[in-house]
Amino acid sequence: MEYLVLQILPYISVTIFVVGVMYRLGKWASARIVHNIVLTPAPPTLGGAAVNYAAEVALFRSLFKGDKSLWAGAWIMHFALLNIIGGHIVGFAFLGEQFKFIGTSAELSKEMSNLLGTTFGIVIWVALLYLLYRRFAINEVKLVSAPADYLHLLLLLGIVTCGNLMRLIPEYGVHYETAQTYFIQLATFQPVHLEHINFIFVLHLLLVQILMIVFPFSKLMHLFGMFAERWIINRPYVEPAPGLPGVKVSASSSTTTVTAGGKTTAGGV
Amino acid sequence: MAGEKKYKAPNKATVAEMRALFIDPVPDERKVDEALKHLKYLVEKYRPLMLAMESCTKCGHCAENCHTYLGTRDPNNIPTNRADLFRKAWKAAYTLEGKLFGKLVGAEPLSLDTIEKMYSYFYQCNECRRCAMVCPFGIDTCEVTFAGRQLLHWLGMVPKLQAQVGAAMYRTGNHTGLPKPGLVDTCEFLEEEMLEETGVEIKIPIDKPNSDVLYIPSSADFLLNPNTMMGAAKFFHYLGVNWTMSSEIAEAGNFGLLFDQRYTMRHNIMRLLNEAVKLGVKKIVWGECGHGWRTGKMYVPSMADRPIPVPIVHLHDEVSYYIRTGQLKLNPEVNSNPTTLHDPCNFVRACNMADTLREVITAVTTDFREMTPNRERNFCCGGGSAILYDEPEMYDLRIKFSAKKAEQVRATGVGEHGEGYLVAPCSICKAQLYPMVEEHQLGVEVKGLIDLVGTALYPPIKKND
Repeated sequence: MEYLVLQILPYISVTIFVVGVMYRLGKWASARIVHNIVLTPAPPTLGGAAVNYAAEVALFRSLFKGDKSLWAGAWIMHFALLNIIGGHIVGFAFLGEQFKFIGTSAELSKEMSNLLGTTFGIVIWVALLYLLYRRFAINEVKLVSAPADYLHLLLLLGIVTCGNLMRLIPEYGVHYETAQTYFIQLATFQPVHLEHINFIFVLHLLLVQILMIVFPFSKLMHLFGMFAERWIINRPYVEPAPGLPGVKVSASSSTTTVTAGGKTTAGGV
Repeated sequence: MAGEKKYKAPNKATVAEMRALFIDPVPDERKVDEALKHLKYLVEKYRPLMLAMESCTKCGHCAENCHTYLGTRDPNNIPTNRADLFRKAWKAAYTLEGKLFGKLVGAEPLSLDTIEKMYSYFYQCNECRRCAMVCPFGIDTCEVTFAGRQLLHWLGMVPKLQAQVGAAMYRTGNHTGLPKPGLVDTCEFLEEEMLEETGVEIKIPIDKPNSDVLYIPSSADFLLNPNTMMGAAKFFHYLGVNWTMSSEIAEAGNFGLLFDQRYTMRHNIMRLLNEAVKLGVKKIVWGECGHGWRTGKMYVPSMADRPIPVPIVHLHDEVSYYIRTGQLKLNPEVNSNPTTLHDPCNFVRACNMADTLREVITAVTTDFREMTPNRERNFCCGGGSAILYDEPEMYDLRIKFSAKKAEQVRATGVGEHGEGYLVAPCSICKAQLYPMVEEHQLGVEVKGLIDLVGTALYPPIKKND
């Protein structure tokens, strides 16, 4: 069982994840943006549009304007998730000593790494529980939910719970070194060593791999959908020039002259 | 087909009426197969539609932001559930997860019943795009409604109202089906009206050769909203613009946007561009029509079969420009009634006009009060996308859809003494709001925005009474 989950399945799940996501993105790309469906008010410059785009993607601005509690649950969850994924990468790469690069000692860096990891682990767990609670408690959300929507949350909760158990209960703890060795062996196609590895760690990895397999075939694709959809509706728009042909300036003190002929600047997208 | 009616829906166009739109209705036994073919074609062609199918997380944020759901509390009127009518069929027929796991992942094979349900709920959507605005991903459920109605059109399922209007447009160049003599007569009548009211001789020309500006009015402005027509005429007259309308395209609306974004929409657009060349105008100015202006502004570039010959602008963008540059002498005190503004969805969420409308209305009235929410966050009037059906159960739905709007108008207090103005610069909004302000007893009169510009430019002569 351990051999299957830790040695064989990872190659399968990573392949499915990568190929699956590329297939889906390829299908999206082959569909066209036929009409200009920009949502207004739209800024006239690309810079302005970039600011809107960034505010939506990084801060979930639309959600913030409309529903503060959903925003809190969703944004905190995603922010913690981003940090946890980043933490896994740098933690395993630098064995917890990544903060040396911003001037801490190796000791302090390890402590910070542990503290941040534990904190975000608990934060995301609470946020996920809130999102699950919402699905049960708010009638409208219940009305739109399919069984898979609950299962996704339960899967994430399972992953996070395993992670937290490893963090908080010493006997389930797995050291950065062990994890690093494991990933290097996996990445270089060597047999993995299965000592120092406990049941919770195996379960954690199994659930993560299930998530990777499910990802391309589920709403989890919203990660990419966010960027793709925003690219369609948050764009700049340049208004055509005003001014009617043949209008004589009437008795006015205005300094602006009328644009005769009414030529547009570049209208459209 | 006739008889049993499971879902609230407007009466369908007859076979003859569909054939007038060059569509042969698909018989029931072939509908599901045909629909699945169209579904695949549409989803794989339109990226916004495909993204709506594949990246909604069902967070439920759209529910409380859709006035049709707020007004009816019908779960199928939650935008993401409306999209599910499409999404379920798409998943079941064309995705791996749907084929393997079915209901677990929200997939459900398409059935004749679902198609009837689509007909009901895609024609209960106002296409206002408030859900697109609030969606964290920007998923535009309006695109799903568009595609749904397109599919239904290809199956031969279009409401009588939309089908008849589409056919009238094809025949006469306007939605009311008025032939040229009718248009000319009406304009002469309105000219007399204006002379009597203002003492100034103001023309409303039709098919006048050698004009500079082609004005595209909503055809409802000839009969239903004459003040809007007169307002536009006064504005052009004031500036001395050499303008005309065209009997070939006396219509700002384009129902192609609402039920057939292919032939019907393109045909109307080409009719417009042809006429602009024939009359040799230098600029096209659009009148007060929300969905029509969205088409004119956003869809002409992607639908036109040849380069667009002249700039196309909106009347209020011009009015606000001349107000901004101080070239209009306005008398706002003639519009002193408490006034509020209903932002047409297409103007504020699709055409960048929120500021423009405010520049104009604050210049021509003295007691302007904002609704809350306003601008791009405004709610639809409940008539959006011309679901202006008169069958009792559909009319009842329209009252419910406008409940949120009524609440908003009441909160401004403009109608407290029964003399408020509710300004709605859009023909469909007006057609919906005329009866709705009565149903909800709001104490307001529905006005167009250019109407008020007209009176502010040429204050009525006092009659001795």
